[in-house]
Amino acid sequence: MRFWFQSPPAQRSIKSTLIPVVLLLVFCCLASLFYGAGDVGPSEVVAVLMGAGSDDARFVVTELRLPRTLIGIFAGLSLGVAGALMQSVARNPLAEPGLLGVSSGSAFAVAIALALGASTATLSVGLAQLGALIGCFCVIGVAQMQGQRNDPIRLVLAGAALSSLLIAMTSLLLLYNERAADEIRFWVTGSIAGRNVDQLLSLLPSFVIAIACVVYVARPLASLALGERVAIGLGYKPGRIRLLVVFAVALLVGAATAIAGPVMFVGLVVPFAARALVGPDIRRTLCLCLPIGPLVILSADVFSRLVAQPAEMPLGVLTAMVGAPVLLAIVRAHRLPTL
Amino acid sequence: MMNSVTSSTGSTQAQVPEGYMKIALGQFACLIDRRAIRRNLLLLGLVMVASIASLAIGTVALSPWQVIQALFGQGDALSQFVVQDLRLQRLLAGIYTGAAFSLAGCLMQTLARNRLATPGIIGIDNAAMAFAVSSVVSTAISIAPSAMALAGAATATALAFGLAGSSGTRGYRFIVAGIGIGAIAGAMTQLMLSQVDIDTANAAYPWTVGSLSARPELMVNILGGGLLLCLVACLLLTHLFSLLPFSDAVITGLGSSTKWLRLSSLSLSIILTGLAVAVAGPVGLVALIGPEMARVFARYRGIPLIGSALAGAFIMVAADLIGRTILSPIELPVGIVTSVVGGPYLIWILIRQRSKSTI
Repeated sequence: MRFWFQSPPAQRSIKSTLIPVVLLLVFCCLASLFYGAGDVGPSEVVAVLMGAGSDDARFVVTELRLPRTLIGIFAGLSLGVAGALMQSVARNPLAEPGLLGVSSGSAFAVAIALALGASTATLSVGLAQLGALIGCFCVIGVAQMQGQRNDPIRLVLAGAALSSLLIAMTSLLLLYNERAADEIRFWVTGSIAGRNVDQLLSLLPSFVIAIACVVYVARPLASLALGERVAIGLGYKPGRIRLLVVFAVALLVGAATAIAGPVMFVGLVVPFAARALVGPDIRRTLCLCLPIGPLVILSADVFSRLVAQPAEMPLGVLTAMVGAPVLLAIVRAHRLPTL
Repeated sequence: MMNSVTSSTGSTQAQVPEGYMKIALGQFACLIDRRAIRRNLLLLGLVMVASIASLAIGTVALSPWQVIQALFGQGDALSQFVVQDLRLQRLLAGIYTGAAFSLAGCLMQTLARNRLATPGIIGIDNAAMAFAVSSVVSTAISIAPSAMALAGAATATALAFGLAGSSGTRGYRFIVAGIGIGAIAGAMTQLMLSQVDIDTANAAYPWTVGSLSARPELMVNILGGGLLLCLVACLLLTHLFSLLPFSDAVITGLGSSTKWLRLSSLSLSIILTGLAVAVAGPVGLVALIGPEMARVFARYRGIPLIGSALAGAFIMVAADLIGRTILSPIELPVGIVTSVVGGPYLIWILIRQRSKSTI
């Protein structure tokens, strides 16, 4: 039985898919600005954006909704691109930062910081990125050492095993530190509410570096997808490419985790959707991941605001509930699509 | 390892293989691996040593002799009170849960033909935890969280099995489906913990890490009975379970139904996991390390069911003892001890695992 995502559409122009997706994203951004806590309707939001509007409305829009939307865009972008990179380098459609222990590595680093006295508001971003980097290297290292890199399930198992270890160590750290335990139980659900723009700005340098890496490795990665010999023949060094990719993934996931908490499954769903639309070429996939990532996070976030009013569902819970079925759908496909 | 072989006719004189001993009981006879008996007795000895140490060490230190006397109702009143009223319940809970987790792990590893496929990894623990936590955050602690843990384990497995459809020849779909369900259950637990006040969250804490300090007595007794029944069932089905490592074609060729085989081993392992989580919460990695230890220790020729149970009991009792004493008077939950000690070992397994998936 052939599944629609296994046969890529023949050279569909990337513009024809990109335009509707970007339009959808704009629509989601507007929805994120128009709805949410605070009694400010769409017309007032437009007024504020034009430079008018009451002080109350201005506060709600510029201090609450705009940062939240920006952070959602940023986190979605990072996680989507990181997922696509990771899947390409692991040649495994199930490789996902959250599933593979990268997020738990970050969470562990954050727990160390919290236990040492930091608070989630003043969290150092570099720390989360360092944790993500270590988590990344652990998983990829373990997967490489098995000598059978194309077994998707084993990589997922390795990730699950590493995550469970890291989670246990996190609980050990938090056991006798009630303040940290109190803070982290909100942080681990994953949320883009109540973060400030300063944190976002502090992430920009690492984000720029990561995107530069991505632009640099996109072509070599595409040739690496044809096999290691092809890449070497074209003058690329596979080892160096992989190293750069892991570095970029760690920067992206660490940054997203620092600001939004561990948000599971976005890195799985976004490249999956992108590949379904434009086929397996990594450059096209990456292009499409740029708008789809924010689209997924923002729509999940808007939904989380609307579904349980006046309370909100944490973003991470929502993405897990959407992402797990996608994982099952991929696995249930008659033959695992290999990359 | 017992390999019960029913001889169809009493007249055929089959040669007893070297290293085995034959126990005949009328029409039925079974072959018993002598080495397995020796190694299992050794494991049993380890469990007993750990148990006596666990009964002896604590705020009131007793000598091993005092412990043994107190166990049989002799000795002074204080040591009798400490051993029989304070420490024995906890020791029994540790032995039962360790054996149950480990036996369940052994069954599931054999079923999925993967050493990493244990109830904890595939999300049964997580689901049981989510159900138990939901019970704690909405009601007071009582028997209810235990019952909910059982329901959670059953729900998770039913979902994983249903969603995976046919479990396939290698059972890997089932594992990944389980990982997905475990992720959802984990997220739900985090959601619940973030919605309640810190006191309630702390009350639910033992259910999220695995601990022997809040074991309900009724559940311990139920687990003891269930463990005994499952052990007997395992022994009766050993000759079937020893087919599990082979491919489906071989199993069918030998005249067994793969479906029935999977269903029976899977349901045994779920019952055991559910009962054990109901007593102690999700204790990480015992289900993985127990069978592993049994395999390394005894170099079994078959599936080390009894050995796994014994090794699991030993690990649990030892880990609980370490957790109680290492940072005393602070008590570390047993789940954290097993995870932190077992984690590096797990990574070692992952690194060493050969290209062919072997159990």
